[in-house]
This record gives sequence, structure tokens and C-alpha cells, in this order.
Amino acid sequence: MLEIRGITKHFGNLFALNKIDLNVEEGELLGLVGPNGSGKSTLFNIISGHYHPSAGEVRYRGEKISGLRPDQIARKGIMRVFQANISFGDVTVYENILRGCYLLGDANLGELFFNTRRYQNDERKMKQRVEDVVEFWNLSGWRDNLASSLPHGLQRVLSLAVAMAPYPKLLLLDEPMTGMHPEEVASMSEHIKRINQQGITIILVEHNIKFVLSICPRLVVLNFGQKLADGVPQEVVGDKEVITAYLGERVA
Amino acid sequence: MESLFGKGNKRAPLFVVLLVVILLPLMSDDPFYLSLIIGALVWSVVAMGFSAVMRTGSFSMGQAAFMAIGGYTACLLQKNLGISFWYGLLIAGVIAALSAAVIGIIVLRLSGMYFSIITLAFGEAVRVIAENWLNVTGGMNGIIPDPPSPIHIGSLTIDFVSSQVPYYYLILIIVIIAALVFWRLDGSRFGRVSRSIATNELLAQHTGMHPMKYRVVIFTIAGFFTGVAGAYSAFYHVFLHPANFGMNQSIAVAIMAVIGGSGSPVAGPVIGALIVSAVGDYLTTLLAGLKPLVYGIMVVVILFLLPNGMVQLRDSFVKLFRGQPGIQQRPGAARNTR
Repeated sequence: MLEIRGITKHFGNLFALNKIDLNVEEGELLGLVGPNGSGKSTLFNIISGHYHPSAGEVRYRGEKISGLRPDQIARKGIMRVFQANISFGDVTVYENILRGCYLLGDANLGELFFNTRRYQNDERKMKQRVEDVVEFWNLSGWRDNLASSLPHGLQRVLSLAVAMAPYPKLLLLDEPMTGMHPEEVASMSEHIKRINQQGITIILVEHNIKFVLSICPRLVVLNFGQKLADGVPQEVVGDKEVITAYLGERVA
Repeated sequence: MESLFGKGNKRAPLFVVLLVVILLPLMSDDPFYLSLIIGALVWSVVAMGFSAVMRTGSFSMGQAAFMAIGGYTACLLQKNLGISFWYGLLIAGVIAALSAAVIGIIVLRLSGMYFSIITLAFGEAVRVIAENWLNVTGGMNGIIPDPPSPIHIGSLTIDFVSSQVPYYYLILIIVIIAALVFWRLDGSRFGRVSRSIATNELLAQHTGMHPMKYRVVIFTIAGFFTGVAGAYSAFYHVFLHPANFGMNQSIAVAIMAVIGGSGSPVAGPVIGALIVSAVGDYLTTLLAGLKPLVYGIMVVVILFLLPNGMVQLRDSFVKLFRGQPGIQQRPGAARNTR
């Protein structure tokens, strides 16, 4: 589904990514791990279109997407959840998710202006989707609260809910568990598994190694912009280079 | 969806306002007061455009330049090609819109501060060109257009020479059309996207929105109405001069939109224009040299008491009318539910 070939990204003399090759199959739940600064977020930035690669290309379902704008890439069904809590903080949870439904609209500007039937259908479709999303993520109690007033854990959930709203095919999850306590981690973990079971491909960046090892059938390890290992968790965890670079002691 | 000049089902306030507005010329014999209102209405159109652009996150400090472009287009079409004011008005809007589109595509990529500075520079550039392109614009002599040709409806003739009342109804129509356009855009998905790209452009992009498209479109629409306002203004004052549409005016427009209320597509700019333009012009007759001082104090006081602009008063009043307590909004907050 996603082919990353020879992706290199440098900022001046600093090589954030150096000839990364990676294939992601449709329906996979892939864990992407590595120390801070290893290039995980940079790779996400390139896939989502926020950066253009210095070299190499990214193909999605055979089509080259590296070099497209973020909104064009989102339109193809690739959604990204950021590491930090990024939301439209000054509006409600409902409104945030509604904005997330933008891609569900078909009507163009003229139809919008004259309030044609297609535009009205769009709006109805979007509003219904918001209700479904709020329900799925148990956000009903927070529906009319400002996004910025949500506790941290729920803000992470909201980011994911917003990303899920337009029925993405590929999700780039950048550390969804950051700052969550164990119950929230368990709940989020369930949600991620459920999403993946629905057929959505997920690339998951997470520092919580125990969690990643438990749910990801495949792991890729990055360090200093290079791929160190790629395979099932048991192999990766046993890989000498990986152990030296990142995992330290072998995780039981 | 909210109604134009007040929230909710009680449209009584709207009808009262409409009635007053339609009967306004009958309320006083002194043409001075009507001229104040006409001036304010012209600026309200420009302020509506500024406000709409502002709500995508861009402060355009050169809107008066589009008035100049509109003004000179209409006047020169009449002077050189004999094209009637009535066509000139529309063509002025189109030319101003095209200019806005071209400038916008280049300049709207820039972030906030840089965009504001470049638009300021653009405004000045237009003024300087108007001052120096003697062959075309007449430079500092300005242009004196002929009055609009009279309108004949049956046996009734409306002429634009003997009274300013026809001018009043003309600007009223322009204001209403502009109001409907901006109100519709703001209340629809367009407004939702505008507010998104203004608040968090990164997230908006990753949600599938294309910020440049929306910025350029609204900038162009604002340019159209601003050009029309400029053309109208040139003919109403029977004089078009480069100094009429310079930096001071661009800044005044910004103040109008902010004082009136940045979250409001129509009521805010109109109220802001009334206060800044009508009250300002009125004060000039009383205070002459003190006007800038009084102006400045007025702006500071208003923004201190009403951070969301004058529309806060309207909202509180309407809520009072409906028997609800007013809500104190966060300053600068965009409206929530669309």
C-alpha cells in the first residue's frame, strides 16, 4: 500500500533521514520505534506532505505522493495524528470533529453559496458522521466543551477522532499515548486495535515499548535517520544493533 | 442559521432596523446627516471585505488601494470611453477583483506580519502610481467625473444631481448585496474553513483544506466589493483624488472591522464603520485638530471594554430582549457553532 523508497531528508548538513526503504502492506499495524531524533516524526512529515523529501519517493497504492500538498495527501485517505495536542482549541469538540469531516463534502463553492441540495446533503452527511464519531469515542459528555478545556488524555482521543472522521485508509499515529495513564492507554489500545480490525492500515510511533510489542505484529526501528531493523517484534528485539542503540536491556 | 442583524427567531429587531434604514432620508432636512450615513455605508462595504479576509487570518492593510483601482476604473471608463457609470460600477468591481486575485495569489502565501506589510506597501504603490501617472489619472489634479446618468422608471426620473437621496438608496442596495454575500459565506462551510485556517493552518491542511484557495477566493470577493465602493465613492463625492484612498483609509478600515467585532461578518463592520466614519466625521466638525486624539482614545476605550468589538453589545442586547443572560466570550474568539 505504502512504498517508501530511498527517502532522504536533510536540513543543511543534518541528515534527518538517510535512504529509508520501507513497505507497508494494506491492513497492517506497523510499529515505528526509535530514540528521540531518530527521524520518526520526520518520516511522518514526509508521508503526510508537510515536508518534501530531499531524495527518494513515496508511493501510495502505486501513485507517487511525495511532493504533494498535505491537503492533497489527506484527500487520498492518509490522515495524521500529531505528537503534540493539535486541535482547534477555541471551538467545541463537536465543531472540531465537524471540521474533520471536511473531506466528506462534495459540493463546490458555487453550490455552497446557493445552498443547493448537494451542499445540504453534504452538511447533513457530515453532521451525522460527527454524531457517530462522538459516540464511538465516548465523547458525548464533552461534545459542547471547548477543545482546549479537555484533559490531556481526551485531547489525544479527540485528535484521533478528528483524524478518523473522514474514513481514512491509512493512519499515521504519532505517539498517541503520550502523557496517558494506564487506563487511558488500555482504552486507546483497544480503540487502535478495533480501527485496525476494520481494515485501516496504521503506522504507529510510540515510546511505550511494552505497548508496541504487545499490539504490533511488525516493528521497524530507526536510529539517526537510518533503518536498523524491520521484522516481527521477537526478531527486532533480539537484533544486536537495536539493543545497543535503543532498547538497552532485553525487554522480557 | 442566524439572521442578519440579530440571533434567533425574533426578527422584530431586524424589521425595525430595516424600517429605519429605508425611511432614513425622511428623518432630517439637513443633508449633512445623510452624507454621514452614506459615508459610513461606503466604508461598511470595505470593512465587510476586510473583516472576511481577516477571518482567514490575514490582515490586509491596503484595502483602500482596491477602492482606488475601482474608482479610477469607473472614472476613466466614463471620461475616455464614454461608458456609463452604471456599467462602470460593475466593471470597477471586476477589475478590482482581478487585481486582488493576482496580488492575492502572490502575497497570501506570506504569513501574517509579512502579508500585512506587503499589502501596506501595495496600497502605497497604488497611491504613488495614481499621483504620478499624469496622462492617465491626472495626478494630484484628480478626476472630476460626470454624474451618473439618470434612471427612468416609467414616467419617473431619478437623477443624481439635484439630491443625494438616490445615492443613499444606491449604496443601501450595494450594502445589502455585499451583506448577503459575506453573511452567506461566513455562515456556511466557507466560514468554517476560514476560521480553521486562521486558527490552526497546519491542522486545517491535514484535514484536507487548501488554505490558499480559500484565502484567494475571499480576498478576490472582498476586492470586488471594495472596488465597487471605491467607484461609488468617486462619483458620490464628484472628485477622485489619490489621497482619498491611501494608508490612512486602509488603516481606518481595519479599525472599523476590529472595533465593530472581528467575529461578525456584517453587523460588526457596519457598526464599526458607523462609529469610526460617521462619528469621526461628525467629530471633525466639532474638534478639528483634536480628532486624531479623540479617535485614538475612543478606539482604546472601546476595545478595553468590549474586546470582541461592538457586536458584543448587540449580542447582549438581543439576549436581554429574549430574556437570557449574556455570555462573556473570550476576546477574539470566533463563533462556535456552524
